[in-house]
Amino acid sequence: MNTSYTFAATQEADENGAVGAAVAALPLSFRPAATGENAQVAAIAGAAGWTSEAIRAVDAGARGVVVIAPHAEDTSALSRAAASAGAAVVLDHRWASNPGLVGAEDAVRSVAGRTAMLDTVATSAAGGDPEQLLAEHLAAVVRLTGPLESVHVLHRGPHGYTVSARLANAAPATLQGVLSDGRAAGVDFRLYTNDGGVSITVPEPSAAWPAEVRATAGQGEVLLPTLYETAHRGSWRRLKGHLDAGTLPADLAGFARLTAQLAQLG
Amino acid sequence: MTGNDTAAGILGVGIIGAGPVTQAIHLPALARLGDLFAVRHIMDADLAVAESVASRVGATHGSNVAALLADPEVDVVAICSPHQFHAEQVIAACRAGKKAVLCEKPFAMDAAEAEQISAVSKETGVPIIVGAMHTFDPGWLAAEANWGELPETAHTIRSSIVLPPNARFEDFATEVITRPATDSPDYTDPEVIRNALQGGIMGLAIHDLPLVRRFVPDFQDLEILQAHHVRPFGYVVSLRAGNRTVELRAVMSSTWKPEWTFEAISDDADLRVDFTPSYVQAGSAVARITRGGASSSHGPFGHNGYEGEWRELARLARGTAEPLSTENLINDLVFALAIAEASAAAATAEPAGAGA
Repeated sequence: MNTSYTFAATQEADENGAVGAAVAALPLSFRPAATGENAQVAAIAGAAGWTSEAIRAVDAGARGVVVIAPHAEDTSALSRAAASAGAAVVLDHRWASNPGLVGAEDAVRSVAGRTAMLDTVATSAAGGDPEQLLAEHLAAVVRLTGPLESVHVLHRGPHGYTVSARLANAAPATLQGVLSDGRAAGVDFRLYTNDGGVSITVPEPSAAWPAEVRATAGQGEVLLPTLYETAHRGSWRRLKGHLDAGTLPADLAGFARLTAQLAQLG
Repeated sequence: MTGNDTAAGILGVGIIGAGPVTQAIHLPALARLGDLFAVRHIMDADLAVAESVASRVGATHGSNVAALLADPEVDVVAICSPHQFHAEQVIAACRAGKKAVLCEKPFAMDAAEAEQISAVSKETGVPIIVGAMHTFDPGWLAAEANWGELPETAHTIRSSIVLPPNARFEDFATEVITRPATDSPDYTDPEVIRNALQGGIMGLAIHDLPLVRRFVPDFQDLEILQAHHVRPFGYVVSLRAGNRTVELRAVMSSTWKPEWTFEAISDDADLRVDFTPSYVQAGSAVARITRGGASSSHGPFGHNGYEGEWRELARLARGTAEPLSTENLINDLVFALAIAEASAAAATAEPAGAGA
């Protein structure tokens, strides 16, 4: 039997995280809370102060919290509150939450020790905030490769940024951000090894375009199965899994590592 | 003076240096251009190599540059010798009164040599082409005809070159009889890294630096932001010039999968050019220009940039095309040298095990 959970979303969360569309695609799992009813799941936007808002939701009895596009913030108090209440906090990132990254993580891990170079480019609309782009970009990178070493900004400006780093095996890594309306927004990863590597293209969460993950080696190239699911729906589905199982996701711990990495960039 | 029957449209070719580039690139390209060229004379410092390569095309052979330049059957000269001989041989070919000269890149080792070549070319009226094949690729030329104001508005330029070892494509193109020896460098030695970066820029990046320069006409303020060696051979270079960001990447490994791209991006437009690999006659690049959500695609066309440069050489030799600006060639060289020298200077020894 499928358990259904009630939810309530702030207007900003709904706008930024397409909450209505995401839960409409999970109609047996989530339903709107009735007026005056305490929702079992709270969806909030990740603007400054989101950890306090999430704590308030947990204190009010929410069993789950979905945070849309969280900004860097100290999550230690929220982690304690969520653990104490047994509440599941899921962070819904623009690219790092794309469900295709589950397979991509395995592909990257399989070449981690012998990667010769990482070249990754994130693209967002012209006139956007390059700092926000970098945070979203780094979230996806750190999810795939783990924390970077020697990370530092080489250049930042109105058209984007270039960030230099080293992978765990000391191979050079470069993160480039580009603000342009001339190409589709998304993030592209190229990890090169001596016999091929892994390429990953992660689309925007505004539609269910699949991420493309290709692993290339001596015997040829494999395209991992494509998943036509947005990052937003994937986050809600993941929350449902934790709520059903009574487990707590590791999102906040991972976010603390990301925040520390962002702090190194100044 | 030369004595070929140019009225019939066939130009006699002399080639200085008969290594893998001549064997796997120029002879196969010329074999497709039998209505324009016939190879008449092959010179190499190794007489046996010259003889073997010349015998494939029924040409005279020798180990003497002067003899090739004095050969009346030779109308145009291709210089495919080691880099350090290029300037002297280009100048000699111009002074020998040839109809046109094709010089492999780089055509000089420094700006002074390049100026000297330029002066001799002007004095003798002999046109020179530098073998930057992608500038002659029909896909690139189609992009150029359609990219509008992008060279003025682009703020980000990327060149990325991922290639297998040369031998993989040489062996698809021909049967090579000589190859340079390979060694096992000590990557912990900073000098090795500096030389590898210098070699990477002048040997590999240089293919596309003239393309980059189309979008960075002013590079007086060139600043290298990072320069790293990539194992076994490659580079990561980030630079700023003329208020633009330029990213250069290359990996030459044992992969089978080539990927050779050039991108120029502005606030509202995007150019992406996918080139075919060197050596093989795999047609032209495909260029895609995107603006306002609509894309136009150009290519593939039936020939690549190597064939394109020979076709241009024929037009120059016949006087049906305007000679290329030698000032442009000099600036291309100065741009490449500036990046190579600054990248080498910025490079340091690799951390232990980097990308091992």
